[in-house]
Amino acid sequence: MKVLVRANRCQGHARCLAEGPEVYVLDDLGYNSTNIDNVPPHLREQARRGAMACPERAIAIIEESGSGAKASR
Amino acid sequence: MTTSKSGANERPEGVPVVDFDLPSFKGVAESNAAWAKLRATSPVVWSDDNGGAWIVSSYDAVSEAFRNWQVLRSGRAVRTIPGPGGSPDLLPINAVPVNTTAMMIPEELDPPLWHPYRRIFNELLSPKKVEGTLYPRVKYWVTKFIDDVIESGKCDIVETLASGVPGAVVLEWLGFPEHEWHRFSAAFHNSSAYVPGAPNAQHYLDELEWAFDRIKEEVADLRERPRDNLTSYLANVTVNGERVPYEFATGMVNLAMSGGVDTTTSVTSSAFVHLHYHPEDRRRLLDEPELIDSAIEEFLRLYPPARTHGRTVVEDTELAGFKLRKNDRVILSEVSACHDEVAFPDANKFVIDRFPNRHLAFGLGPHRCAGSHIGRAMFKEMLTQVLERMPDYRLIEEELEEYPNCTALGGWSKVPITFTPGKRRL
Repeated sequence: MKVLVRANRCQGHARCLAEGPEVYVLDDLGYNSTNIDNVPPHLREQARRGAMACPERAIAIIEESGSGAKASR
Repeated sequence: MTTSKSGANERPEGVPVVDFDLPSFKGVAESNAAWAKLRATSPVVWSDDNGGAWIVSSYDAVSEAFRNWQVLRSGRAVRTIPGPGGSPDLLPINAVPVNTTAMMIPEELDPPLWHPYRRIFNELLSPKKVEGTLYPRVKYWVTKFIDDVIESGKCDIVETLASGVPGAVVLEWLGFPEHEWHRFSAAFHNSSAYVPGAPNAQHYLDELEWAFDRIKEEVADLRERPRDNLTSYLANVTVNGERVPYEFATGMVNLAMSGGVDTTTSVTSSAFVHLHYHPEDRRRLLDEPELIDSAIEEFLRLYPPARTHGRTVVEDTELAGFKLRKNDRVILSEVSACHDEVAFPDANKFVIDRFPNRHLAFGLGPHRCAGSHIGRAMFKEMLTQVLERMPDYRLIEEELEEYPNCTALGGWSKVPITFTPGKRRL
């Protein structure tokens, strides 16, 4: 699983941090540019929930499985 | 409905037109019903009321409008526009522009001018700063104000907590003397809750002018003799390599104070009223305190403090398929977006564990409420301590008092409660 953040869309709501405190990191101004190539299995639910909670739809989760990739935003 | 006056925006052709005089709605229930009716009509309509404006009510259209900040502008710089919002004496970010010359910085700026000022607020109010620097003061003031009433078994929870805590946290941080805190809080609260229409309206406006004049005086003094507080920092901060201009420094203090003191009050008072009329939700929070974070988001969605904002169109554009013209005024409704069934199933219900809950209580786009993290922290601490220390509180229903004007903000001015007395903590 990959996490991609469109930094120009992030407005610092910090809902990703609330749902995925072990996945998402905010900078000193409160914006998120966390891009992760391979989210370990035990953190995937946090990553998904953080992306779903984003009111700006700034976070894409790319699920990779044997049958191909699925992106959700 | 008002007829088009000279200087007002002209009605476009071939679009749905409605009567929608925002300041005429008395109370949140009436206002919410009007918004629901409007959403059922069309996501975007035109109204000739208050000088003529587009009114945007659906979740999708309000979101699209907030994100299109390059065209739907917040700035007073567009002051050559003839209609409401185009005057240097009017605050254009209000849905129905308010007569004041006091600037709100950076809310009234658009990028790129907006960038360095917003950065100042982001640095001061990031989640990390709130947790590390401000939260201990939030906790102290909530504990102290509950201590003040806990042995008596009764209080007005708005005065004691919902208004008292944000006032103390923000004004202490800004560095204003304690004897002025109440007057500042009351000035911002009363001017949004009681104007226009209340018998005392002129008095409330005079008090608001006092507050803005007092800020100007303090900023001027702190530019001569800096001290160690937030107002002094904002008065002297460096922007683009130079000391901030005086007007912009006062604008930042105006915003920190007006944004800080009465918005958290609104949602907190609504939550306390809700938990009286919905004992099942209170029971659930008492039994499962880990639900508090999702409950907070749901309170924000159902009772968003800032109900509407205004924007000005700076070039012809489209919104949800409607053709907006340069110089048109646009009213965006956060509250209507938050109650939109399309985005939130069972939108009228309080769903304590609703997820996802991408509400617009803090707006969207670059003008997302800069104080959202401190606002949430204050709300959470007040709710947590009330549930711990006054879990059986009851409202004195006949003494409830709602904001009579809920154009920009909705909420409760007076929420008297009784509860089983408890022990002080400090």
